[in-house]
Amino acid sequence: MRNPSDPRALPGADPHTGNRLVDPVTGYDTTGHDWGGIRELNTPFPRIAVIALLLTFLYSVITWILLPAWPTGNDYTRGLLGLDQGRMARDGYQAVDATRQGWLAGFSDPDFAALASDDLLMAQAMPAAARLFADNCAACHGDAGAGGPGFPALNDADWLWGGAPETVAETIALGINATDNSRFAEMAAFDWLEPAERQALVDHVVALPQGTAATDSPGAVLFADNCAACHGDGGTGGLMTGAPSLADGAVIYGQDAAAVRTTLRHGRRGVMPGWSGRLSGTEINLLALYVATLPEAAP
Amino acid sequence: MHPSLTNAERQIGLGLAVGLALLGLAMAAMARDGAMAVHGAIALALGLGLVFRLGGALYDAAPAGPDRAARYDDAPTRFGITMTLAWAMIGMGAGIWVAALLYWPEGTPPWPATSFGRLRPVHTTGIIFGFGGNALIATSFWVLQRTARARLADAISPWVVLIGYNLFCTWAVTGYLMGSTQSKEYAEAEWYADLWLVVVWVIYFALYLRTLARRAEPHIYVANWYYMAFILVVAMLHIVNNIALPVSLAGAKSYTVWAGVQDAMIQWWYGHNAVAFFLTAGFLGMLYYFLPVRSGRPIWSYRLSILSFWGIVFFYIWVGSHHLHYTALPYWVQTLGMTFSVMLLVPSWASAGNAIATLNGAWGRVRDDATLRFMFVAAVFYGLSTFEGSFLAIRPVNSLSHYTDWTVGHVHSGTLGWVAMIIFGAIYTIVPQLAGREAMAWPKAVEWHFWLAVLGTLVYVIAMWNAGITQGLMWRTYDANGALSYSFLQSVQAMAPYYLLRTIGGLMFLTGAAICALNCRATLRAATARDLRNDRPLAAQPAE
Amino acid sequence: MVLRLHYNLEKLSMGLVGAIILAASVGGIVEIAPLFTIDETVEIPADLRVLTPLELAGREIYMREGCYACHSQMVRSLADEIDRYGPYSLASESAYDHPMLWGSKRTGPDLARVGGKYSDPWQVAHLIDPRAVVPASIMPAYPWLMRPLDTAGLPGALATLARLGLPYDAAMIAGAKADALAQSRPDGPGIQGFQDRHGDRPALRAFDGDPGRLTEMDALVAYLQSLGTQTAAASALLEEARHEP
Ligand code: HEC
Ligand code: HEC
Ligand code: HEC
Ligand code: HEM
Ligand code: HEM
Ligand SMILES: [Ca+2]
Ligand SMILES: [Ca+2]
Ligand SMILES: [Cu+2]
Repeated sequence: MRNPSDPRALPGADPHTGNRLVDPVTGYDTTGHDWGGIRELNTPFPRIAVIALLLTFLYSVITWILLPAWPTGNDYTRGLLGLDQGRMARDGYQAVDATRQGWLAGFSDPDFAALASDDLLMAQAMPAAARLFADNCAACHGDAGAGGPGFPALNDADWLWGGAPETVAETIALGINATDNSRFAEMAAFDWLEPAERQALVDHVVALPQGTAATDSPGAVLFADNCAACHGDGGTGGLMTGAPSLADGAVIYGQDAAAVRTTLRHGRRGVMPGWSGRLSGTEINLLALYVATLPEAAP
Repeated sequence: MHPSLTNAERQIGLGLAVGLALLGLAMAAMARDGAMAVHGAIALALGLGLVFRLGGALYDAAPAGPDRAARYDDAPTRFGITMTLAWAMIGMGAGIWVAALLYWPEGTPPWPATSFGRLRPVHTTGIIFGFGGNALIATSFWVLQRTARARLADAISPWVVLIGYNLFCTWAVTGYLMGSTQSKEYAEAEWYADLWLVVVWVIYFALYLRTLARRAEPHIYVANWYYMAFILVVAMLHIVNNIALPVSLAGAKSYTVWAGVQDAMIQWWYGHNAVAFFLTAGFLGMLYYFLPVRSGRPIWSYRLSILSFWGIVFFYIWVGSHHLHYTALPYWVQTLGMTFSVMLLVPSWASAGNAIATLNGAWGRVRDDATLRFMFVAAVFYGLSTFEGSFLAIRPVNSLSHYTDWTVGHVHSGTLGWVAMIIFGAIYTIVPQLAGREAMAWPKAVEWHFWLAVLGTLVYVIAMWNAGITQGLMWRTYDANGALSYSFLQSVQAMAPYYLLRTIGGLMFLTGAAICALNCRATLRAATARDLRNDRPLAAQPAE
Repeated sequence: MVLRLHYNLEKLSMGLVGAIILAASVGGIVEIAPLFTIDETVEIPADLRVLTPLELAGREIYMREGCYACHSQMVRSLADEIDRYGPYSLASESAYDHPMLWGSKRTGPDLARVGGKYSDPWQVAHLIDPRAVVPASIMPAYPWLMRPLDTAGLPGALATLARLGLPYDAAMIAGAKADALAQSRPDGPGIQGFQDRHGDRPALRAFDGDPGRLTEMDALVAYLQSLGTQTAAASALLEEARHEP
């Protein structure tokens, strides 16, 4: 064993003289090694690094004591606070949900007329409804509810199933053609008609919104026989079968000849998802009232 | 490559090249899907190219034997730097393209390979593994030889490592373009590429140890501790995270053996430590060599180096779970990830501080020398991004930042500010020496590059901080009535200006890197035959 | 003392190697191994179903196109996320996912609960051109998904997953190709066989709108529509917290 107080035994000291190179800038000695020109100083350990390490360690120990932290084989330490991530999430959700129950609970009441005329309540509720609409409905119906090809406009006064908020709420909750208990709306394929007959129908339907449709053309006759049951006499709709009025512009797929021909050839069965599992009943009522305000919002 | 090899070595090389060509042929012939067939063809073409190159040079004049041992083997480093710069262009180009797509989504041509989801991993793999990896390997050879004062243990394995590694990167990146991916972030390459990388890595490690064994100074320098940690731990992470069962040996598709929450933990144990041991440990090795060399100063504190090295190696491995806060990963693992991340700050700052304190006495040089300034800025950004990282790892902070562009901002303050800057500093130190010159061919261009890089980084990072915090707040803000204030789409729309700014910042950064590439080419072309006197290995004398 | 020890360690390359391996192993072992041994980490609910062959093919396309680069599939346990997306995700929901697709970036919204949120035609229209249905979207268009689906690899894929412990039985593996086709042809002849093997919970629809063609779109939409529907465990857990006067 060498004497530990012997300077020659110190790390990096010259084994013969015990001297080490001293850096002129900092005044510290070097460790004595030389790696192709690189040297390092033997600067003492900065106290602050040790303190910082201790502080962060202290923080960690406290955290470990309070929170779930260390595994113990088949289990883990739960921590003094007994926190559980899932329960905290449910509590947190319950807490934010509670903050809006004051006004939201009102919407569980199906008296839509009273709700709609309560300006204060509506002012509180509509921003929430707008966000719900934007995150869930706008993808299909557009952010202003103007619809698009295949998706009906909600900001006009034309309804497939009726525009009373009760009815709308039911449509939203059940959906259309989505599951066995949603609303059912099917436009059968009229592929069994002769092409010429279909063409006559197309001409008739295209003319309907322009108001130029004859009432005694072959197309009109075919229409009365085959279509009026669902679309109403003269295609005015309003029968609440899910069949749109064809006499105005408010259709789902379009009223040019090509779109109508496709409809007749292949039929249609638009799908609107049901929202009852995803949204709560109050939220759905809220949306039904929101949909009713869309026409005003529209430019 | 061949000028550095003796005739016998060229023959061995030729044999290896034939082997590679045969492997490629077998893969291409057996493959039942496109990706593997193309990858076989790439290996075949590479093998054949090498066969011609080496075969044609078999009887050319060989370097004089005994004289060779008295010089460092820098040809592989030179090749590695070329590849570094090539991958910089590919990786950053892809980065700018995907950045632009987020601002201008209609820009995607109806061609699958150009779509965001396929090109994003091209960016991350191309830049981390292509740019970062080549830089690490190239500089590790340089640093290892000089700190050991010994020539690389043999002449062939450095080439096997570099060429094999670049084949891995090429396989990975072209695979994603064709839609072949394991979808594990930063480990997307398919099973055969993963296996290939293991082989390359073992050769790399063996070469490292063999060369180290010839060192002249009995002590191993800190830079080498870091390079060794990089090589070892990356191997460990890569193997465990990539264990997968191929559907068929003749196809690219495989399924990772890990599932669900365990897969998530293993993925981020890997993912975080890819950051730690690839993007941090390796580059600290680089910093520990080039900073003292360029500044002419000794490392400020040997003792602090010890603390930071072991702190980094020990703490880092615990923190991967900070990528999974509030997820279905059990709470206890999140707590460990959070607390270790906070403790990790101390060794991280210790190394950043050690680097900056090393510059004491050389501040004049920092002012005058853009190359040294690159290294200084790198150390500062290293400190910044590790501070930010430890902050983001705290659960409540992460609840805001996770999933947002704040993470992307953090990533690029680390990668642009730290990783890329230290690489450029190293390149500007090495390239003139490779060319036997005092300085780069266009010293002014280095200055331009520096400012473009700093400005580009700041624009990028500040834009993403704003973007991320805005996003995080928009997602969670409730109005006075207890309803969420913003729809998701509103948060998407709010990002547009930031995405544009980020693209501009990236373009500045790429412009700088392109200037660097041109400057390096000009410098190497203007090489002189001058030999730098004292940059030589010592006579072989085993140290252990 | 410690310094002295280190001073000597620095001289041994194998010593450093060993010390590095040791130091870098602890954390991983302590954090990962217990995830396999602590039972409550993953509690597989009785109603958890595996993906059908068509849905699995869709998952491959989801990975191939890098959808996970923009979409997470992990609703975090935070009130606002529950509010926006639905019940927070449970570990059991991805217990059959090799690999998991939790994601790390939300350039687009979380998709863990997207199954059933939109209709098939919307999904198709959105994937072909997102801006046709969502004008402000920055999602890329995927028009090439209307090409035919290659089902050749499905039996092998199911067999591989079965070897990794997923409950795919021999009949499911053998019938994988037929079942992929059957699931996209609601009026086709393969329905009975499909339901014998996969039960009646998976949706049977012409997902891309055309029962005559089996496309990549069929697969991807089938997969998207399955997200969040493989078990009801998460919504059951949250049910009690909902205020439903
Ligand atoms: C996947 C697309 C889609 C989404 C999302 C969607 N809808 Fe619909 N919605 C439709 C389609 C399609 C129809 C028409 C169905 C048909 O063709 O008969 C429709 C019809 C309706 C109707 C009936 C219109 C009438 O004239 O009677 C209402 C009301 C409605 N949607 C409201 C909503 C609300 C509120 C939401 C959000 C909670 C919503 N929709 C989300 C597609 C969607
Ligand atoms: C069984 C009831 C029924 C009959 C009979 C019927 N339709 Fe329809 N029609 C519907 C329903 C329901 C829809 C809406 C389909 C949807 O919801 O997607 C519809 C939609 C349409 C549309 C598409 C309108 C749009 O929104 O773009 C046209 C055009 C049309 N029908 C024309 C006809 C013609 C012409 C006939 C007769 C040959 C006819 N329909 C017979 C129920 C019917
Ligand atoms: C560049 C990022 C990006 C990529 C890649 C991407 N998406 Fe999206 N995605 C978005 C954005 C942004 C939205 C929100 C706007 C919208 O609805 O289009 C979105 C919305 C969606 C939605 C609707 C979710 C909802 O609840 O409203 C679905 C479903 C979807 N994407 C599926 C996919 C699939 C499948 C892929 C891959 C084939 C994909 N996405 C790739 C960005 C992306
Ligand atoms: C020209 C400069 C660069 C640009 C324009 C750029 C752009 C991008 C973009 C657009 C993304 C995707 C972000 C998203 O999905 O929202 C990204 C991700 C990423 N980039 Fe870059 N990048 C650049 C340089 C680099 C460099 C030099 C590195 C590494 C050395 C790097 C590493 C990464 C990583 C690791 C990710 C993934 C981040 C994550 O998943 O959170 N980038 N980059
Ligand atoms: C003390 C050091 C560091 C800590 C504690 C740390 C911590 C973190 C945290 C908390 C995240 C966000 C995870 C999430 O919410 O998804 C993250 C992401 C990331 N960090 Fe760091 N970081 C550190 C240093 C660095 C450095 C120096 C770099 C780069 C050189 C870097 C690169 C990344 C990357 C690439 C990601 C994105 C991962 C992904 O989601 O794809 N980090 N880091
Ligand atoms: Ca891989
Ligand atoms: Ca990521
Ligand atoms: Cu991390």
